[in-house]
Amino acid sequence: MPTAPITLAATDLSSYLPILILVGMAVTFGVFNVVASNLLGPSRTGKVKEKTYESGMDTIGSAHKRFNVRFYIIAMVFLVFDIEIIFLYPWAVTFPNIDQSTPDALLWLGRILFFVFTTVVAYVYGVRKGVFRFD
Amino acid sequence: MDAPSFLTAQFIASVVVILIVVHMLLGAAGMSIYFERKISAYIQDRIGPNRVGFDFGQPWLSFLKGMWGLGQFLADGLKMLLKEEYSPKGADRALFNLAPMVVVIPALIGFAVIPWGGVLSLPETITLPLIGWTIPGGDVLIAGANVNVGIIYILAVASLGVYGIVLAGWASNNKYAFLGSLRASAQMISYEIPLGLSLLTALLMVGSLMPEEMIRHQSSEAWLILSQPLAAIIVFICFLAEANRTPFDNAECEQELVAGFHTEYSSMRFGLFPLSEYAHVAAGSAIFTLLFLGGYHLPLGLIGAGEGHLLSPENTSIPAMLAKFHVFIFKTLAIIFLVILVRWTIPRLRFDQVMQSAWNTVIPLAIVIVVVTAVMIHLGYRSTGAMLLANAGITVFALGLLPILPRRGGANNRKVRLAGSRFSPLEGETVRTSPVSAFAREDRPVESTLPVHSG
Repeated sequence: MPTAPITLAATDLSSYLPILILVGMAVTFGVFNVVASNLLGPSRTGKVKEKTYESGMDTIGSAHKRFNVRFYIIAMVFLVFDIEIIFLYPWAVTFPNIDQSTPDALLWLGRILFFVFTTVVAYVYGVRKGVFRFD
Repeated sequence: MDAPSFLTAQFIASVVVILIVVHMLLGAAGMSIYFERKISAYIQDRIGPNRVGFDFGQPWLSFLKGMWGLGQFLADGLKMLLKEEYSPKGADRALFNLAPMVVVIPALIGFAVIPWGGVLSLPETITLPLIGWTIPGGDVLIAGANVNVGIIYILAVASLGVYGIVLAGWASNNKYAFLGSLRASAQMISYEIPLGLSLLTALLMVGSLMPEEMIRHQSSEAWLILSQPLAAIIVFICFLAEANRTPFDNAECEQELVAGFHTEYSSMRFGLFPLSEYAHVAAGSAIFTLLFLGGYHLPLGLIGAGEGHLLSPENTSIPAMLAKFHVFIFKTLAIIFLVILVRWTIPRLRFDQVMQSAWNTVIPLAIVIVVVTAVMIHLGYRSTGAMLLANAGITVFALGLLPILPRRGGANNRKVRLAGSRFSPLEGETVRTSPVSAFAREDRPVESTLPVHSG
């Protein structure tokens, strides 16, 4: 029974080559389906048929108009949180592997906890401002 | 002539795995549509699809008739290819055509880093038959790609899915589609944050970004669902929300938005949307299996299998690889089954409830779990039992906090009045109702002033 020491984690760029092939396959699949149904299907048009669907009524105006600003605020808050999480990933990979008895480990934990704390402050500010009220 | 430098045994293994798994994923997407219809039929006391077999109307294939309706998804797919591809007049044609492709690509590439079969040991150098090239062998990972940032890749691809939906909604120039895509994007980015935080918890337990390392850690200690059950639940919820599945399918809820962001789509351009949804479900189930259910590992040591049994990471023979592959697929299918059951048992949440539960419940909980896990690792309590206790403590703490938290009395679930309508008349307005049935007429006064709510 071979119990070889396994060398994983290729870091050179060529290990991403299969992903490139996979992306090519996915693109081909999508393009093929859209083009094939375009070629195979019938094509007829008409005055009523080319209207946008609005539950059978005559279409009123365009849909490209202003919408609720709440979606924009959600996107902004999302950016704050998402960038914070991305910064936490390198820490989460290295922190469990270092010797926890050294003072450096405590310092590192403290810094990250402060970093998380700043985000919590932003979150509480958002709650007080009513960002997370959806009604 | 020498072999090109990128051509290693790992490369060949990766390409073979990709070729197999892409087709398995597409097949799983098609078959889960069939199983979804069948399971929902049994839940609702119907029969479900049971006619379409594989006989294609040919008399000499009549022995393939019926087949419990297994040919249904194939027939549906072929039918969609032959339907008319139509786009309304006001639509942005280029983006309208682009959107289904943008939706289907992230759904198909997400699984690339999943180590389906663990590690396979090959000879140090391999001479390819026919061509005669000598390529380096050694240990290869049976995955689409052997990269060291697998978890980040999964997260990156998962967040790509929102682009296609926004494009579809915007390009349709349809109000229902636009609202649906806005809802979908808001919901998907909201649930991405707890997803990232819960993956962070798993990473803190393992200390590596490599998917294979995650399985090794789980096989040497315990599955992460045992040490971090709250994070596992949050990840499952987030995968449902990311795939726009019930109870989070506000993007396409029929009662409010017709079909949501794909209202204007037809033919195979429409077909790519459900296909990518089910591909998302399949890939998400595989990722959940990888992160929390031990991947290909089963605790065979409990029933007396020795060291290096067939499903342990140390066993790198070909039978072990095949066994691991099948165990992984079986676990993934079990999770897909669970997702389908959830869809047909839990009603859809309202949109504001979805967003509330993301921002006011799941995200604070996920932050608390990450902080508690980090502190416990620093203090040296990283065993499964200690983490399980900590999770129980967090649950009790959160439940105890529930009555203390400020409530917005009445603001939630408040009735949105349509001023001047039959149900919300203006101040002092007399409302005339004439119910059709005699029972209702006895029950209700025909003419009265309804109480006017202020606020």
